[in-house]
Amino acid sequence: MTAMEFKEFVATNGVRKAAKEVDIVTTGTFGAMCSSGAYFNLGHADPPIKIHRAWMDGIPAYAGLAAVDLYLGATELDESNNILHGGAHVIEDLVKGRAVRLKATAYGTDCYPMKEMDTYVSLKTMNQAVMMNVRNAYQNYAAAANSSGKTLYTYMGKLLPELGNATYSSAGEISPLLNDPYYRTIGVGSRIFLGGGEGFVVWEGTQFNPGVARTPRGVPKRPAGTLAVMGDLNGMSQDFLKGLTFTRYGTSLGVGVGIPIPILDEDLASACAVTNDKIFTAIFDYAEQKRSRSVLKEVSYADLSSGRVTIKGKDVPTSPLSSIYKARQITELLKKRILDGSFVVTEPVQRLPLKKSINTLDVRSEKEAMK
Amino acid sequence: MKTKLVLNFNPEASNLPITHNLIAEYGLLVNILRAEIDEIGGKMVIEVSGDDDSTNKGVEYLKKAGVGVRPFKEGVRRNDEICTHCGVCVSICPTSALILDHETRKVTFVEEKCVACGVCIDACPPRAMEILI
Repeated sequence: MTAMEFKEFVATNGVRKAAKEVDIVTTGTFGAMCSSGAYFNLGHADPPIKIHRAWMDGIPAYAGLAAVDLYLGATELDESNNILHGGAHVIEDLVKGRAVRLKATAYGTDCYPMKEMDTYVSLKTMNQAVMMNVRNAYQNYAAAANSSGKTLYTYMGKLLPELGNATYSSAGEISPLLNDPYYRTIGVGSRIFLGGGEGFVVWEGTQFNPGVARTPRGVPKRPAGTLAVMGDLNGMSQDFLKGLTFTRYGTSLGVGVGIPIPILDEDLASACAVTNDKIFTAIFDYAEQKRSRSVLKEVSYADLSSGRVTIKGKDVPTSPLSSIYKARQITELLKKRILDGSFVVTEPVQRLPLKKSINTLDVRSEKEAMK
Repeated sequence: MKTKLVLNFNPEASNLPITHNLIAEYGLLVNILRAEIDEIGGKMVIEVSGDDDSTNKGVEYLKKAGVGVRPFKEGVRRNDEICTHCGVCVSICPTSALILDHETRKVTFVEEKCVACGVCIDACPPRAMEILI
């Protein structure tokens, strides 16, 4: 069943019957996931080149990995900082089947004499083209508004002055980690729907922070768990992988992630029955340019998705940043693939940690850093 | 009758009190939806309300005054291939021309309500919106 179908099923039939009769619930999310990218093996040149600097359609790719391995990050921009076309857009172009111009320079060695190359590459010419995202599918996310007198351009979108709007970024009740709040079935080795193709959870995501305040049913009230995921770019689709631009912020990659949750017992059935009125987050004031911003209001996803919230007595329109429409499509597609046998659900080989906190980046001495 | 018009001004015509004249001389109700001016002239999108005769006479007056007049047909276009239906645009659209359907969670673009202000253009992450005027 899809997450939407399962919630309705539980509402009519109860948790016990659901736990008995339903095997798997498919969850999904589609949103801007900045900590994404892809690595490539280009194949060797003749004479060989040990690439020192590389650009893919003008976007710098990291080349500090042997000779012809590159990593291209979604938020990377060219030297002119053209935010309409960044690493994310190059990855989308490759998935669309397009060829990408590769420029590479090298210092030349006895074993890799070539110093310069200008050519084209595509998914067809490369040995490996693998999406490797270090932080995706955030378990809950902050919401944003702006109390200042000027429009702010942020990764949370255009925030209008004087609390003119509020934006939020989670698929809410159908989002993977909000349906398995203690990571019982989603862990290292879980096979997932990634960008229209397939991939795996390979580790906890960066900034993994499971220790935040939770509701009595265990749902985090703040950004908590995250996933590091990878999967072959071959087989992914432009429908679920999209280069995005946030004005005066930069680029990001719209990524579709879908994860099946096997209903192991009544506890998990109860967790998967969670609805938007039972999932909470806070609207933070992005007018404050600091690490810890003030909370303007605690809200539920039912409030946010109603289209309006009241902040400080003001009626404020809301906008999602993640596409619930696409997230639902992912839950449907994943269900279809599981039913026709093309997607095999796996058991994780290692659980994600439940105890872990996050550190901050501060100016410190060498000694302090080692404490 | 309500008519939406796009007006183009050369620098000379930019100094004419055309809104005043449309109201005072032709009895039209004028709602300015968008106005901009730069070194090569100006552009306005207005909605005029009045009977057909007055509207036609008003348009004649504008043309004689050297103002380019054309009907406002399509101000902003959405590329449906690119739109992901995220909904970022719905809370910033001042005329509620972009609406998130609560059932389907798709974003509907109601063109009749659009005044081509352009606020959505740079707010759209996949850049699905294009301004045409």
